[in-house]
This record gives sequence, C-alpha cells and structure tokens, in this order.
Amino acid sequence: MLRLVSTATKPAATGRLVAGSRTFASSSRRQADITLTVDGKEVTVPQGSALIQACEAAGATIPRFCYHDRLAIAGNCRMCLVEVERSPKPVASCAMPAMPGSKVWTNTPLVHEAREGVMEFLLSNHPLDCPICDQGGECDLQDQSMRYGADRTRFHEIVGKRAVEDKDLGPLVKTSMNRCIQCTRCVRFANEVAGVEELGTTGRGNDMQIGMYVEKTMNSELSGNIVDLCPVGALTSKPYAFHARSWELKQTDSIDVMDAVGSNIRVDSRGTTVMRVQPRPNDDVNEEWISDKTRYAYDGLRSQRLTTPLIKDGDRFVPSSWEDALTAIATGLKNSGASGDEIQAVAGHLADTESLVALKDLVNRLGSDNLALDGVNGHAAPAHAVDVRSNYLFNTSIPGVEEADAILLVGTNPRHEAAVLNSRIRKSWLHTGLEVGFVGERVDTTYGYDYLGDSAKAVADFVAGKGAFAEKFKAAKKPMIIVGSSLVEHADGAAVYNALSKYVEQNKDKLLTPEWQGFSVLQRVASRSAAYDVGFVPSKKAAATKPKFVYLLNADEVDPKSIPQNAFVVYQGHHGDLGAQLADVCLPAAAYTEKSTTWVNTEGRAQLGRAAVPPPGASREDWKIIRALSEVVGSPLPYDDVLSLRDRLWEISPTLVRYESREPTSVEVALAGLKTLVAGTASAKVTGAPFKKSIDNFYQTDPISRASVTMAQCTRAFVKGENFGFSELSSASEAAYA
Amino acid sequence: MMSTETKSAVTPTTIEQPSDVVPTPTREVTTADAVSGAPTELRHRAVRIFQPTRSTTQSGTGKSTRWRIDWDILQGGGRWENPLMGWASSADYMQGTRMSFRSKEDAIHFAEKQGWDYYVQATEINRIPPKNYAENYVYKPNKLRILRTK
Ligand code: SF4
Ligand code: FES
Repeated sequence: MLRLVSTATKPAATGRLVAGSRTFASSSRRQADITLTVDGKEVTVPQGSALIQACEAAGATIPRFCYHDRLAIAGNCRMCLVEVERSPKPVASCAMPAMPGSKVWTNTPLVHEAREGVMEFLLSNHPLDCPICDQGGECDLQDQSMRYGADRTRFHEIVGKRAVEDKDLGPLVKTSMNRCIQCTRCVRFANEVAGVEELGTTGRGNDMQIGMYVEKTMNSELSGNIVDLCPVGALTSKPYAFHARSWELKQTDSIDVMDAVGSNIRVDSRGTTVMRVQPRPNDDVNEEWISDKTRYAYDGLRSQRLTTPLIKDGDRFVPSSWEDALTAIATGLKNSGASGDEIQAVAGHLADTESLVALKDLVNRLGSDNLALDGVNGHAAPAHAVDVRSNYLFNTSIPGVEEADAILLVGTNPRHEAAVLNSRIRKSWLHTGLEVGFVGERVDTTYGYDYLGDSAKAVADFVAGKGAFAEKFKAAKKPMIIVGSSLVEHADGAAVYNALSKYVEQNKDKLLTPEWQGFSVLQRVASRSAAYDVGFVPSKKAAATKPKFVYLLNADEVDPKSIPQNAFVVYQGHHGDLGAQLADVCLPAAAYTEKSTTWVNTEGRAQLGRAAVPPPGASREDWKIIRALSEVVGSPLPYDDVLSLRDRLWEISPTLVRYESREPTSVEVALAGLKTLVAGTASAKVTGAPFKKSIDNFYQTDPISRASVTMAQCTRAFVKGENFGFSELSSASEAAYA
Repeated sequence: MMSTETKSAVTPTTIEQPSDVVPTPTREVTTADAVSGAPTELRHRAVRIFQPTRSTTQSGTGKSTRWRIDWDILQGGGRWENPLMGWASSADYMQGTRMSFRSKEDAIHFAEKQGWDYYVQATEINRIPPKNYAENYVYKPNKLRILRTK
C-alpha cells in the first residue's frame, strides 16, 4: 500500500500554502521523491528526508528522545534504532538519510533488544522519582520505559547514581538536573530558535551537564518552550510546580490574546481555574512555540478580577446587582446630556470581535460615530485609514516571512511585539542569506541587522536609495517591509507611511505581485486588526467632539487626561486596572479563557477562541453585557444569541467568520489602498523625532500580565536584572522532596 | 449551521487513478433527537467537531487521529467550587461528555442526526521539511550566524 503522510509530502518550509491563492510561481519546487520499504510497506518520501520521517510516514512508531521535528538533528540518544537490510548494526533512524529501495524494519527482536539496551543505560542514571516529578503522566521516558524498560537493574555502582547540581534559569524554568538524559533539545532550541548562546553543555560522557556556563538566568521570551521540549522532567515549569497532574486537567483549544499573533494555545484547567497554558502546533501561525507571556500570565486571571458590578458612590465603589448597574448607566447617560458624537466608546487591547461589533452597533444606534481606540492617538482616525485591509494587516503572512530575503523593520521590535514571529525571522536569518535592516531605537532582536537610524530621516534615506542596505534591498528577490504598529502613534507616522507607500508603489513589481506582498504592518495588540476590520474608528467630526459619556471596553491604557472631568464613564472589563479606576460604573466581564469569541490576528486570520472555565462571580460574556445594556438604554440590538451575532459579523465582513483562514488582498485592491494612503498622508510634516520602543517591559503589557505574580517576577529578573535568589526560593523545604 | 470548512478545489484530472480516498456513501439522516429523549435544551447548544492536537510535551501522536465532539461550557451555571468539598460542581450535564469518532464524517453525521448545530475545527497544520543530519555540517559562504553550544 502506498501511504503518503501529509507532513512528509508537503513542500518544504519554503512552501507558502494559502488556500486558494496559489499561483504557478508560488508553487513549490518539485522535489524528487524516493521510495523505500518500511516493515514491508512501501512509502514515498521527498529526497533528503531522515529515515525516521520515512518510518513515520509508513505509520511505524519510532521512540525518540533527541529528535524533534522543529530542531536540528543531533542523533545522541540512540533510542530511535531500527534495523536496515545489509547493515551490520542497528542504525539511528534520525541521523540516517532515507535511501531509495532500502528495506527497514522497526519492530524486530534485534530492534527491541537494542532499544532495551539504550533504555537500560538511560535509566541507570535516572532517578526513580516519577511519583513526585511534574513530568509524570506526560513523560516520554516514562512512557517508553513501559515498553522498553527492564524491571530490575544490573548496575550496582558503589558511588550510586550520577548526581548533578540543579541550575538556576530564572523564575520560569525549574531544573532538576539529575533527571537529564542529555538529549540536548533544550540547547538546540536555545541556539536555533531563541538565540540564547549561553545555554549549553559542559563535560563529556557521564559528566556532561547542561547549564548556563556562567551564573545567569535564561533571558529569552521563548524560554518556556524548553519545558515542553524536555522529554523528561529535568526542565519543568516553576509556576506550575506541584500544582496539578496532567491527567486531571481538562484541555480546551483556544487562542492567545497577549499579542496580535493569535498563537494557538491549549488551556488546561481543573475545576474552575486555569492551571496552565500550552502551545498547540500550527505551522501557519506559531509553529509549536508560544511566548512566555502567553504561557505564564495565566495566574493573572485569578487576581484583581472584577466579579460583581460596581457603582461609584463618592470616592468608593459599591457592589450592586446587574439590574442596578445597568439602570445607573442608563440614568448616567441621560443625566450627562450626551447626544450624538458626545457618546464615546473606547475599545481596549483585549476586546473580542463580537463585543466590538455589538458596541459599535449600539453606539451608532445612539447616533454617535465617536469610536476611539485605546492608546496614543487612538482618538483620531489612523493615518493609514481602514478602508483597505492591506494597509493595516500583515500581508506577507506569518509563514511567508521565511521566504523573504531582505526585511526592513520600521519602528518595531518584533522580539517583544510578536515573539513567535521573531523566531521565524531568526530561523530564516540562520538558514538563508536573509538581510535585515532596522529603523528605530536599537534593540537586541536575536539576529543581526543593519542599523539605518532611528527617525523618519532614516526612512527617507532608505527610500532615496542611500546606504548599503537600500542597495541590498533593491537587489533582493522577495523584499519585505515590516511596519510597526507604534508608527500610527508617532508624530511622524503619517510621513513615514507616505514615504513607504510611495516606495512600494514604485517597486510594485517586487513588493506587490500576486505571489508576494511585501508590505506588512505588524500589530501588537490582539483586538486591533478586528477593530480596524469592523471600522471601529472615529469620523473626523466625531474625533473633534468632546465626549460627555465614555464607554471603556477593556480599555486599560487610556490616558486619564483624555477623559473630560464631568463625563460619565463606564468600564467593562475583567480586571480592576487603570480603566476601572476612572469609571463611574464597572461591569465585570469575562477574560479570554472564559468566553468563546472571535479573534483576528495581525495577518487578518480569524480564529475562534474557546471558553475553558466559567467567568468568576457575576461576570458575564462581553457581548451579552452590551446586548443587555442596549435593552436598558432603549435601543435593543437585533441579536439574541452568539450565532446571530456572528451573522452580523459576516454582514460586516465575511473574513471575520471564515475561521482559520487568511484572505489575502488582491494586488489591485492593495494598490488602490496604497494610493489612498499616499493621498491621505500627502500633507504630513516630518518632525524628526526619534522612534521609541513601543514595549518597554515585555512581561507586563496588559491587565492580565500586570496582575500576574509570575510576570512580576520575570520583570524583576529579566527587565530589571535583579537576582533575588530564585534558587533560595526553591531550596530548603522544596529540596527535601525535589 | 456554521461550518468553517472550505470546499477543496476539484482537481481537473480525468485519468482514473487508484486512490486511497474511499468515497463516502451518502447516508440518510434519521432524526434521532425526536426519539432519543434528550432534553430539548441540548439542541440550542452548538457542538464542536475537532481533532485533538498532539501534546507538545510528548512526541507521541496517540489519540490525535480520532475526531471528537464536545460542548462549549455553560456561562454562569457551568461550574462552581463546591463550598463543602472545594471540588468543582456543575449544573451542566454535558460537561463530562466527550465523544470519539473514527472520522469527521461520522461525527458530522451523528451531530446531524441529533439535530445539533455544529462547527468543524480545522485540523492541525504541520509542515515539516525533510530533515537531514548532514545539515549540521553544511558550509555556509556568508558570515557564521549560529553559535552551537551543544
Ligand atoms: S535538560 Fe531536558 S531537554 Fe535539556 S538535555 Fe536534559 S533531558 Fe534534554
Ligand atoms: S532520536 Fe535518533 S538518536 Fe535520538
């Protein structure tokens, strides 16, 4: 039988598979296929595959510790031994290329005995502490020893088992180095993906150790992934230590909202609490990685929550019922005398698409067009306008980044704004001749770049073709410009947009073709693309109006000064953060793990999140609150359940409900968009003010991560560089059983 | 019904090729919900049909080939901490139910029979390039960009 496994036959990393948009030029290079026999089954795999891939394609299960699909091959655990015809010894299938016509067996007595031998050596130095090990229940070594392990030991060494000192990698990764089997997955991840060069091995053979060489924490936004990669319990999660067992957890597939990448996550919950967040593999978005904020900010979901509606009385909040709170808002709206554009709605970073649409509909029904976005300059329409999607989306697509051969970053630090995307740039930088140019405040991006300057002047020089990088960019086949979302917040934003869109227009044969759209905007907050998609921006007239009634939807970055003194303020959100302080009435809503809502990522890909746990106390799903309020203020919205609300989403833009797919903009429309962009920003003046980093502290960017203890510890350890003795934290009492 | 499925383009080949794809027989949808005795409220809850993704903590792919049906949690009355024991109580009789099917079509067929609204979640997308041990030693003409500490 001929079996082709999808993974092995899909085009290599270069293949950009966007449903429906494949043209001749973007179809992948045809790779020669080879055919071999595994366990008597014929398989066809692309040339250059490893034998382990061929075995997998044939449906054989190969045990492994060191081989990982997304890391380089090391070949040092020897668990993947298979028998190959005419080979005197069993061969390590991960380090062996698949050869045409060879005959492979994965299930013979020889193979079993060989693997049993490997397992025996591994276990000879492995502690027998599965009952108190956090990896227990999801451990490769535990599982594979069920099959290949012996039930008694033949090693009786006088000195006992190997003992290795535990290392201190910071507040996220807990180490228990006795358990390490030296698979070096963590080292390869640090080298290749995270760009941390200090994590490595010392010593040889039995004395080999994994560590940071110098007394240092592992400073990377992706460090949490080594916990997943470690096939044993040597690296485990510190915040999650001894909190739950993997089999007690209920797993819910969802979408992350800590940045605009929309990483696919799995929320593991027990009872009513989220116990941890794990990545979900998806090569279109986050591969298999998630950032540390995504993974560890969940403890912020337990503290600082708004659980009941609050009404301000003098200078304190009084808990109230939903009915009272909604009536208070209706009265407040009436008493404030707000009419027309004096009613303002501000959409925050964590607002979901359903509630954005409901709120926009409500405010429009009340006769206002004053829809502001949270953040600097959010009260005016953005420089790029929102009429054409390609003006504010990441048009190249996230996997498309790997095809680029020259990237210009303008006013963005992807390492902090989209950590997972940054690892793609690094991957491409390592394996291809990718050249990166950088305009903005100098940062460490984990890959080298040509520094062009820090202001609009550098962009002007680049556009004029001055400098070495501009020439490299001209010569590139698939050049790409990544514009940061902070540009619309900058005084020179409009001028830079103007210059760059003219440049794209001039070079449209390279930057804007049916196969390659090289002009991308990187959003950094989860709700922004959706807000632009539904048109959550003010009209010119509305932007100039002074509001008397302000509705803050998850808006926690607002400038308190932007809210007029005597305005009536409503805050709807899940955390008692900045926005709630300003409010006259607080409405408790659900956080992203508690509602099934639509999120649109920076590429414009709509994805459906899922509720894992119920919202605490009296809090409710966001759109339902707005729906209920619309009834009280006397202009009920026409949808009663989420499906009819999604019909409304579809009416606004079908892309909002075409889940898991990205709709690329056609070249003609993108060109028209650039034209309006150039025309709209034609009068922009250049002030020459330098671009600043948009994120100072990666670990605390939203109400959830600001409420999180783990993120506070990360801030101390990685941002402030304090060593407040993590190792001491996990000493004494814990050491007794760790 | 709200389906996230997109129809795959019809391949314009005319040559008959032996294929792994077995055409699905058209099946009759019996209205099982009329006789099943299930509470009618169940019909107002959309179910999700999905394939569990592989766990990233382990390399095994077990249990990720079957298709599942499960329910969104109920807002409000779904779960709470029981004050007596500290465990989670639930008013949702579907919260512990998880159905497994051998194929997507089976799951859809079942949901249709029961008269449930359903949506199908796309499966995991994996694009693993051919991997090669020799890549570790390939000569790169440019400046060395990686430091290996292995
Ligand atoms: S710590 Fe874990 S991942 Fe790293 S080498 Fe040891 S066993 Fe492998
Ligand atoms: S998986 Fe092949 S040697 Fe480790």
